[in-house]
Amino acid sequence: MDLSSFAGPFLPEILLLAGTLLVFLFDVLGVRTTERVGAVAVGATALALLFVVADLGFAPLTFLRTIPAGQLDAAASGTPLYAFTSLGLVFQAIFLLATLLVSLASLSRPSRDRGAPIFFGLLQLAALGMLLVALASDLIFLLLAIEVTSIATYLLVAYTRHDSRSLEAAMKMYIIGALSTTLSFFGASLLYGAYQTTSLLAIARDGGAAGFPVLVLLGYGFLIVGLAFKATLVPFHAWAVDAYDGAPTDVTAFLAGGSKKVGLFAFFLIFLAPILFVRAAAPGGSPFTSGAVALGPVLQITLSVLAVGTMTLGNVLALLQKEMKRMLAYSSISQAGYMLIGIAVGTAPALAGATLQIFAHVFMKTGAFLLVAGVTAWGVGPLIDDWKGLGTRRPFVGVAFALMLLSLAGVPLTVGFVSKFVLFSAAVQAQGYFVWLAVAGLLNSALSVFYYARVLRVMYFEEPAARATPTGAVAGGSEPPVLPAGGLGYGRATAILLAVVLIVAVGVYPQPVLGAIQAAATHFVNLGA
Amino acid sequence: MVLSFAVVGLAGPRLKRLEYGGWVAVGFAGAALVVGALIAAGEMLNPGQYTNAQYTWFQLPAAPGVFPHGFELVAGTLVDPISALMLLVVTVVGFVVMLYSIDYMHHDRGLARYYAELSLFLAAMTGLVIANNLFEFFVFWELVGVCSYFLIGFYYEKPSASSAAKEAFLVTRVGDVMFLLGIFLYFYNYAVLGPANGWAANGFVFVNGNQPFLAGVMGGNSTLLTVAGIMILGGAAGKSAQFPLHVWLPDAMEGPTTVSALIHAATMVAAGVYLLAVTSLFLGFTATDQLLIVAVGGFTTFFAATMAVVHPDIKRVIAYSTISQLGYMVLAIGAGFAMVGLFHLFTHAFFKALLFLAAGSVIHAVGTQDLFKMGGLRKPMRLTAAAFAIGGLALSGIPPFAGFWSKDDILAAVYSQLGSHPAYWPFFLLAFAAVFLTAYYIFRAWFLAFSGDGPRDPTLAPAHEGSWVMQVPLIVLSALAVGSGLLIFWPNFQTLLLSGAGAAGIPPVYGPTDLLLSGASVALGVAGIGLAWTLWGNGKVYALSETSVAQPIRRLLLNRYYFKVGYDWIGARGVYSVARAADFVDQFVIDGTVHGFERMFAALSERLRRIQSGFVSDYAAYVVAGLIAVFVLLLLVAPYLVSMAGGG
Repeated sequence: MDLSSFAGPFLPEILLLAGTLLVFLFDVLGVRTTERVGAVAVGATALALLFVVADLGFAPLTFLRTIPAGQLDAAASGTPLYAFTSLGLVFQAIFLLATLLVSLASLSRPSRDRGAPIFFGLLQLAALGMLLVALASDLIFLLLAIEVTSIATYLLVAYTRHDSRSLEAAMKMYIIGALSTTLSFFGASLLYGAYQTTSLLAIARDGGAAGFPVLVLLGYGFLIVGLAFKATLVPFHAWAVDAYDGAPTDVTAFLAGGSKKVGLFAFFLIFLAPILFVRAAAPGGSPFTSGAVALGPVLQITLSVLAVGTMTLGNVLALLQKEMKRMLAYSSISQAGYMLIGIAVGTAPALAGATLQIFAHVFMKTGAFLLVAGVTAWGVGPLIDDWKGLGTRRPFVGVAFALMLLSLAGVPLTVGFVSKFVLFSAAVQAQGYFVWLAVAGLLNSALSVFYYARVLRVMYFEEPAARATPTGAVAGGSEPPVLPAGGLGYGRATAILLAVVLIVAVGVYPQPVLGAIQAAATHFVNLGA
Repeated sequence: MVLSFAVVGLAGPRLKRLEYGGWVAVGFAGAALVVGALIAAGEMLNPGQYTNAQYTWFQLPAAPGVFPHGFELVAGTLVDPISALMLLVVTVVGFVVMLYSIDYMHHDRGLARYYAELSLFLAAMTGLVIANNLFEFFVFWELVGVCSYFLIGFYYEKPSASSAAKEAFLVTRVGDVMFLLGIFLYFYNYAVLGPANGWAANGFVFVNGNQPFLAGVMGGNSTLLTVAGIMILGGAAGKSAQFPLHVWLPDAMEGPTTVSALIHAATMVAAGVYLLAVTSLFLGFTATDQLLIVAVGGFTTFFAATMAVVHPDIKRVIAYSTISQLGYMVLAIGAGFAMVGLFHLFTHAFFKALLFLAAGSVIHAVGTQDLFKMGGLRKPMRLTAAAFAIGGLALSGIPPFAGFWSKDDILAAVYSQLGSHPAYWPFFLLAFAAVFLTAYYIFRAWFLAFSGDGPRDPTLAPAHEGSWVMQVPLIVLSALAVGSGLLIFWPNFQTLLLSGAGAAGIPPVYGPTDLLLSGASVALGVAGIGLAWTLWGNGKVYALSETSVAQPIRRLLLNRYYFKVGYDWIGARGVYSVARAADFVDQFVIDGTVHGFERMFAALSERLRRIQSGFVSDYAAYVVAGLIAVFVLLLLVAPYLVSMAGGG
């Protein structure tokens, strides 16, 4: 049976839209418990993920294909709004995985949480926007899709209405977000003025012939700034720390693991074309009098500086943090710097490395935030020092968190090592000053080990301020909070287990995933050339 | 099997109520022994098999000028003659030590930690042995190093134990860095400089087909290869405690005796030798490297033996002996006889583990490690005395004990090369002389501990044998200390050793053919035992150590030729001052900056506290500042850089 005959290639998007509407419908009908609306969200996301994976050509699922074989990675003529690329599908899978992890974990939230329908509904709406971003091949379509996600996430951050910290975080995020959106659209309009088209495919094809007036540079400049907000690049990151810290931690997990990657994929879409076609263009097609300056290298240098600045500042600030969530937030910013390396280098292997890094980050960072949310629910405080002895008191949670941190630090046999290895070696392969990007990345990785190791030390080698007695009896006021007998809840435990299993499985045997991503990246690069 | 160990490592801590996880660990070690024995038996009954199983870990596409042939990193297992031998050693000694621990460690705290770490060690060690390429090898190499660090520092409340653990970690780390550099150099030579071939693409897999890549055959840059070989030697020297990185091993005796037996006698310290053997068989060393390896091995053999001669601590005597014996193996590998070296590794593992466990039995019984406090233990501890004697005879190279066959092979093998490599002469003589010292120091220890009428220190607890779990390992290892050497007469075993040597012109194993040489070494061994008996027999304590002439020598030896003092001095003056500087920077510059920022932000937030949107406008200001910065970059800096690069 060919599903494409009645559902078409947009089946995953339709599923998420249906899920959103269903959740809101439930809300109206009075079905509001976390378990019920959550189940709808998990189901819709999981189904959508299944179809995306099938479209990627995963062998046992090919009968579920929704995209006709010839349509994938086809260099379409004309100026379509969307295109099906395998890299886009990879990103759809990444976005859906992040959404799935968050919704699974959120099943363990209190059953009578009054915001549950709003939370799950908005989550799916945001995911829908993300899927559309992954399909976009038109500048305006792309920016509008980003807006869909952004508005949903502003609301997600504030969904607990009565928490003033969340409201404050949402307000900050909204104001800075609005500013960035304005800048993005301004940049897009400048580009339209220069190219007479908003189709990214058309720009990639014919943009080289149009030359590079300063107008183009201005357009790309505004776009960099606008998207840097979304991707949390330094110095456009400041909102992110407050938002990550202030938002309900499950929402933070979604912001860090999912919606932030939207910005990075937008970077892929928008900036890869100039970087690539300049490489192919004959010298001399330049707006500058010398005739030797081309758009691509200029953008590459700019993105490289942003990448190095982002990872360095993110890491240094992470070193100084005393609170777990803020440390993870800064770590997340520095990871965005690594990912940007892939775009600055702009070759297929580098793109594959960045994509793998983004893929890995979903499990490491989303998983870590979800775990923090669960541990915080036990009454453990926000400081890193509040985690003293947790590794021995809760061995499974300790091992899971340790694996996530080790993977973030890039220790071999975890996915974090493979992704960094592929990314940095691609930068070295590209030679030129890109080698220094790899060096900066390596130095930063070394730096980051310090603050990850500190958490491990606190978890495993430091006793809680006062030893909890085995019976859990509280003797005095100085006792650390006694951990409740229950675990994380089934949903959250499943999500964390899934993340840990993927961290280790892909770390030990990365070739299937890596091969798929490498192939997708090569297709993508060829599409633009 | 490796996986099952990993499971113990993770699950062990949670088995506290199940005999502290000890019996579980023993069970898994037993299972591993069965698997290991089956693999080894398969290899021995059908020698010369190379069973390689691997999958692609990940691959990087070829890039012109950088990786001309691309690069494929694989992970896999290889069972070949040498890994089968090592696997047998690791699983047998591992199981025996695990069993012995049940009683020996019974009174200690933190047993779950102990068994978990020991299981993890065994897992890593078996992984190292069957790894099929250098990268994988390195990962397990680091893992065993970490386990060794944890286990040396097992009694972490004792300052000497935790400082010994740190020392071992730091000293072997020097070797590890060299090893890694060596891998990079080989990689660079073969994968980047190398001619177009399929080899670089499969990442240093140790399969027979790689032998054309032996140095000199494949070409490449010979200077680079020599340096790479030296780096590998450095790595091996760190792990196997060879001169000048030998200092950590005696101090590592701060760990439990079981750990000393398993890690610091039979298995982990042998990993360095194993690395040399593997490198020699699959990559090959240049002639310069070979001479250097011979020099390090030969010198260490003698040098370590001298330090064992005067030491009063029973475990440290055996530790120096380990360094010395590892020197023999290194010597053999340097002379081009990797399989002969591995044969000695094989026999040595059993008789050295036996010596350690016998010593452990003594320590368990009397509660001290000081030989001069012991005495007369022969009567209450007949089995232990016999076991220690068998181990001692094997170590001294007295036929028919195991050490004779393997040590004699080494001497004969090196002797055969003296004609073509006269530079080997001094090191051969040192190794030969060490035979005498070896026999002397080990029997000095035996006589001090076991002969005489009773303990010299009357406050010692009355001695007794351990329970059956401590006796069985002694009996098993005693049998192996006799039998493992005799295996050389089994044709299949000979074939095994020969097939390990491969087809690259490495001469065959020597039996005890050169009677004169054998006779001389046995005579030296007997003389050593005789001297020990004369000086220390029947509970005598020889007074030479008190005379003024010998005192400076004794002090020199007890102070280990002042090597440790020297390293400490370098450490104190060099590293410590760097650390002090770093600390200063940390305290004043970084902390100062942090506190400065803290104060700044505190002041700032105090001012902005009442205006909620103050922060957001700050962030908006960042955005605007960033916008300006991006435009400066885009419009001025980057075009300038690009035009410089393009125009220049």
